Amino acid sequence: MMLAMAAWEPVPVLLGVVIGGLAALHGLGAWLRAGQRPLESGPFSGGLPPEEHAFSRFHVRWYPVTMIFLAFDMEMLFMYPWVRVVRERGTSAVVEMFLFLGILLAAVAYARREGALRWA
Amino acid sequence: MADTAPLWAVVLLPFALVAAAAVVAGLDAVLTAAAERGRGGRPLRAAPAPLRTGLRLLGGQPRRTTAGDPWLGRIGIALVPVAAVLAGAVLPWGFRAVTDPVVGVVWFNAMEALAWAAVWLAGWGPNSALSLIGGYRFLAQGLAYELPHMFAITTAALGAESLRVGEVVAAQRGLWFAVWMPAAFAVFLLSALAMAFWGPFDHPLGRDAAGGAAAEHAGVDRLVLLAGRWLLLVVTAGFSVPLFLGGGHGPWLPAWAWTLLKTAAVLGLLVAGRRLLPTLRMERYLEFAWTVLVPLTLLQALVVAVVVLNR
Amino acid sequence: MGLRDVLLRIGAGHPAVLLACLPGATETRLAVEAGLRRRGWPVAASPAAASALVVVGAAGAADEEWVEGLWRQIPSPKARSAVAGAYDVEAALDTLVRPAAAPVPGDGGEHSADHDGPGGHADQGGHRDHDGHDDHDGHGGDDGHGGHGGHDDHDDHDGHGGHDGRDGHDDHGGHGDHGEHHGHGGVVAGLPMAGRADDRDGLRLDRLHLPLGPGLADWPAGLVLDVALQGDVVQHAGVRPLPPPAPGGLPYWDEPWLRAARGAHVPRGTAARRRCAAHLDSAARLLAVSGWPDPAARARRLRDAVLGGAPAREWSAELGRLVRRVRRSRVLRGLTAGLGALPAAGARRFGVTGPALAADGDAYDRLLVWLDDAVRCAAEADDDRPLRPYDRDGPRGRLGGPRAPSDALLDALPELLRGAEFASARVIVASLDPDLDEVGAVVRG
Repeated sequence: MMLAMAAWEPVPVLLGVVIGGLAALHGLGAWLRAGQRPLESGPFSGGLPPEEHAFSRFHVRWYPVTMIFLAFDMEMLFMYPWVRVVRERGTSAVVEMFLFLGILLAAVAYARREGALRWA
Repeated sequence: MADTAPLWAVVLLPFALVAAAAVVAGLDAVLTAAAERGRGGRPLRAAPAPLRTGLRLLGGQPRRTTAGDPWLGRIGIALVPVAAVLAGAVLPWGFRAVTDPVVGVVWFNAMEALAWAAVWLAGWGPNSALSLIGGYRFLAQGLAYELPHMFAITTAALGAESLRVGEVVAAQRGLWFAVWMPAAFAVFLLSALAMAFWGPFDHPLGRDAAGGAAAEHAGVDRLVLLAGRWLLLVVTAGFSVPLFLGGGHGPWLPAWAWTLLKTAAVLGLLVAGRRLLPTLRMERYLEFAWTVLVPLTLLQALVVAVVVLNR
Repeated sequence: MGLRDVLLRIGAGHPAVLLACLPGATETRLAVEAGLRRRGWPVAASPAAASALVVVGAAGAADEEWVEGLWRQIPSPKARSAVAGAYDVEAALDTLVRPAAAPVPGDGGEHSADHDGPGGHADQGGHRDHDGHDDHDGHGGDDGHGGHGGHDDHDDHDGHGGHDGRDGHDDHGGHGDHGEHHGHGGVVAGLPMAGRADDRDGLRLDRLHLPLGPGLADWPAGLVLDVALQGDVVQHAGVRPLPPPAPGGLPYWDEPWLRAARGAHVPRGTAARRRCAAHLDSAARLLAVSGWPDPAARARRLRDAVLGGAPAREWSAELGRLVRRVRRSRVLRGLTAGLGALPAAGARRFGVTGPALAADGDAYDRLLVWLDDAVRCAAEADDDRPLRPYDRDGPRGRLGGPRAPSDALLDALPELLRGAEFASARVIVASLDPDLDEVGAVVRG
């Protein structure tokens, strides 16, 4: 257990170094531009102002894909521990995993037939 | 095999990655100059261009858009280098990484996944239609690349029957995984580009949308976002070395030199190969990813699983 | 102090240049692009990426506003300069890196530099006029009791009135949704939030109205498209009417044919080179918009070699290589096929002539027609025989009719853009590449 924790000790140090580096970069930038304030600007779409704010409920046409993706993504989580026990558990582990994946792939085939994977 | 590095190595890692990113960006600038000006235009002189650009951005004024959410955007931008360096923690240099936890492969994957949030936040923050489009483009891209990517990573881990990066490297003492898992290797390289939203997968920052998620960011913010992207590319492409190219294994040369050589070769291949492809738009690519790449990587995993069973 | 200046100077030595290209200045634009390429200065795709602005062409009163808007959006330190003619480029680009203190020697006011270093303050770009949108100020009140009519303003604005009844009904029906929406609605910083409208599947979705252009990269100079976006899907697009062109020279790409029609002696080689370069310029834009900068850069370099008068044997081999490379790319075909399909019958209906008619197909077909035509023209590049005065086939179509070829291309555009994703819309615009210099100019010869 002690050993397992020791492996993570460099991570916060690394995070600290990166955040420190980013802060130093911002400081250096502020020094270089003599403390000039950020520019307040309108959004760019070619030079003319838009008629509304861009913040909106953005219509994405790929949302059916997100559903299939979630199903696979959850499945992926099981695959990580699975790789360590494949030999131990033998053929049954492989059969079960790929049977499950096969079922998910059937969903992909169905989604493809329904045109969910192409939206333009 | 691999063990934890001393503190100085932890501090050194981000700087080493930044240096590597600058070199790769310089190579890209040279190739770009060669296309623009031809051989007679002395393209080699463009090598320091990324550093000059970096300096220009550093001294430039940051920019905020009307009624935007600058802090949300800034968090997204900062996440790019943070994700890259934290993922780099498990990247072995020779046989030693900054850290080599039992679940190193999962850690790498988890850190990379931060890019999803990073690019989307960077695109959402400025309250600008074009940068919003760029941010959402990355989400669609994630849906296309992430699963083949994860299956490719898992396949390598399966070949070593371990999630510890050091053990994945050790398992390739005799034969590199790239040799008997070519599909997983190729898919990994593709998804490394997609994750770094660079090259043929640069649609989220596409020029057609005036820079997409980066369209409204200037000054230091822009520098961190664009440099972070190079960092991410170096780290994700570099991770193919321990996963598929045998890490530090190789004859004659010391392990660190092999790591360096292999990483340079992979990055050189990706930067040069970028010139062959136009930007892949997800509304056309996603179908390919799901109907070709996902089954292909799964088939690859099945083959590897059978090999592992018969060991 | 010293170190800071040195660092800033290194950064400022290679500015990223935003081009504000005005209609009627094609020749100047080509010269500026070549000048930037020689210096290795990148062309910025947005003001945020830029540290310099170059105004290409003579700005009329109508252009003043958006050019100033671009300038305000560029973060400092920044420099600006204006180029009125192709002869003027080097001096104008030099002023971009000259220290701010040095006064610019005026030679007829053709170029000027305007620096805004640290400590200087650009105008703040937060305030805009909203002529014809004053009624939006009433939004706050409207939103409180159901937003009836609020959205109709937008519809009227882009000429889509006439479904007010339905608009109102839906808004009243969906009360829960409504409250949520207008929780962040109303007028913020002088602008309303997005209104809603039916999408093509009959869903009511947020819709943004956005003027695209005229300052986008790889975009026809002077073109402004008013688009309504739902997500990144173009629901509606309209070409904004152009201000009358300033009386001036002939449109650059059509010049040889128009001059020959007027009886001037124009060698066939000159016309062939002009057509070849026009196609390479269009193809470069299409390739750049498709995210393939490498062949795009090569096409631009070739374009300048062709126009520069170098003998064809010096560049025709490279042209062949470029064309083969683009033709061989199955990925490019997969990405552009099916976009902006304009069959010959439809093209004739709009009066389209030239490559867009000959292509009889989509964006990819039009690219191939350009490339093949460019190769054909390369064979005639050194032909000294005079151009026949009745040869009126310009790069974008038949000259001499009642309307310029690009007029027809602009007419075809809105229909092709409807329902396209933003990226596809950019490809479609680039694949027609209307030349606004032609529009309204005297092209009858």
